[in-house]
Amino acid sequence: MSEANPSSTSAMINQKASPVKTKSNWLVRKYGKRVLKQNIPLYIMFVPVILFYLIFKYYPMTGLVIAFKKYSFIKGIWGSPWAGLDSFKMIFQTKQNFNIIWNTLKLSGLSIIIGFPIPIILALLLNEVRKLQIKRLVQTLVYLPHFLNWVIVGGIVVTVFSQSTGTLNHVIEKMFGESYPFLYKEFSWITIYLTSGVWKEAGWNAIIYLAALTAIDQSLYEAASIDGANRWQQTIRITLPAITPTIIILLILKIGHLMELGFDQVYVLQNNAVLEVSEVISTFIYKIGIQQANFSLATAMGLFESLVGLILVLSANRIARHFGQGLW
Amino acid sequence: MKHTQGEKLFYNLNYIFLLIIGLSCLLPIVHIFAMSLSDKHALMSGTVSFWPVDFSLDGYKALFKESPIVQDFTNSLIITVVGTFLNMVFTILAAYPLSKRYFIGRSFYSFAIIFTLIFSAGLIPTYLLVQKLGLINSYGALWLPGLITVYNLLVLRTFFEGLPEELEEASRIDGCSEWRLIIQIVLPLSLPVLAALTLFYGVGHWNAFVNVLIYINDSSKLNLAVLVQQMIQNQSLLQELTNTQPELAAAITPEGVKAAGIIVITLPMLIVYPFLQRFFVKGVLIGAVKG
Repeated sequence: MSEANPSSTSAMINQKASPVKTKSNWLVRKYGKRVLKQNIPLYIMFVPVILFYLIFKYYPMTGLVIAFKKYSFIKGIWGSPWAGLDSFKMIFQTKQNFNIIWNTLKLSGLSIIIGFPIPIILALLLNEVRKLQIKRLVQTLVYLPHFLNWVIVGGIVVTVFSQSTGTLNHVIEKMFGESYPFLYKEFSWITIYLTSGVWKEAGWNAIIYLAALTAIDQSLYEAASIDGANRWQQTIRITLPAITPTIIILLILKIGHLMELGFDQVYVLQNNAVLEVSEVISTFIYKIGIQQANFSLATAMGLFESLVGLILVLSANRIARHFGQGLW
Repeated sequence: MKHTQGEKLFYNLNYIFLLIIGLSCLLPIVHIFAMSLSDKHALMSGTVSFWPVDFSLDGYKALFKESPIVQDFTNSLIITVVGTFLNMVFTILAAYPLSKRYFIGRSFYSFAIIFTLIFSAGLIPTYLLVQKLGLINSYGALWLPGLITVYNLLVLRTFFEGLPEELEEASRIDGCSEWRLIIQIVLPLSLPVLAALTLFYGVGHWNAFVNVLIYINDSSKLNLAVLVQQMIQNQSLLQELTNTQPELAAAITPEGVKAAGIIVITLPMLIVYPFLQRFFVKGVLIGAVKG
């Protein structure tokens, strides 16, 4: 991502060219005629892209002011009266709202603790497979759930775990005579939430580690085995250090998204019995913002989410840079 | 190379373990498939495992007769095809200039684009914009705000950067214009990565759920994902059926119809998946090369 650097040859061409006095003269002087001419088609291509980012990504950021306003539908964003930090006070002073932030952090944190190492282990195990067909077969199978919608995964979960008709409960009923409400008890709900996340994405997330593993210099292993290191020692001393940069980069990205727990997974698994532990920021924003049209409070919650995310990415990157592994 | 006894044991256990993991990804879908083809009594007694018991198509019959599934299937197709086309056009338009070292302002634009990844306005301001543009209840609301996915853009840019510069120089000397260069040389050379990105965007649109829930209220414009989710959540389909077609209603259970719905939305994906698999793995790897 280096700045466009006019090559020395184009600078020379520029000097030879007769100095025509036009408005874009400084542009010509800075970049050279040839580079400017090359940029014309590129800019024709790029203008729609600039418009897209301005309209759909940057313009909505001005809409964030409604977090500090008492938004009224009729008066619009700029006509609505200011409300200062009222919405934010509401977030932090209402116990229920605070609970939602806590739930988000808890579910998200648990997903990272449980979900992050599993793809690494899976990739390491796949890397030990010598028979190519088996490797390919297993890979094909573990990537599959990634392409299924959360609606489908939610449907599968309900089919398997539902109390009255679930497959698992049919078995349990036969063995113990009584069914268990897996989806309505907080602990088992969280367990199912975490497991379904791992089931859906672990295989897919292993791809990047597998790519990193293939890049390791094979001669390192040969040297190590001559020195008498066994497979386990080789894994600890060669394989793991070699993929550490990849691990750190992915961990930074994960931590950055700590606050934005995906809406879909929670929404399709949620039910009223476990609302106490399953209401998170994204579902809350949907409910109060879209369904109840309380735009100010929902925007404030969203802004808080984005800001914490920003701070988390910046600090995670800082820490990683300390170890020489930053994202930028 | 000779393996010790311990290593042999490890390799074999590893095979077994990985095969179990692999099967655990497939079997739940097989189970739903078996349920969708089983008879009511078998479903209610819970005897269906991975093979249909007392084969029956009643679940599918009820689904196609009483729910708008054909319409919603068509809607899903339209959303996916048009949306993916727009995504690809815009991603190419963005990735090509950004891959050129002489593109003026390149690092500024790159930063501005990556910034949207770590800080965004969030749901409500975006919703208000879409509303202001009059896109509520139109598929424009599904297509426009997500024209470019930053990750896919970076994958394509990295690929374009890797194309040999000599090729471009040679074409220029032969008098090839920038447009011809892109259409006749760069894009044909990028087919594998373009296929991968098409698949990523396509799957995204096919699976679209939240955005449809938020932006589309008109029930005739909903897609499969929302329909299936509604079926899983409530039983209204069954009640309706009891009123209009008591015979069919007596032959089905909610579970059978739900399973059928899940299969209808999953099947197209399962069919294209084996053919496209090698493309998408390649696509991910290209993105991974530079971290």
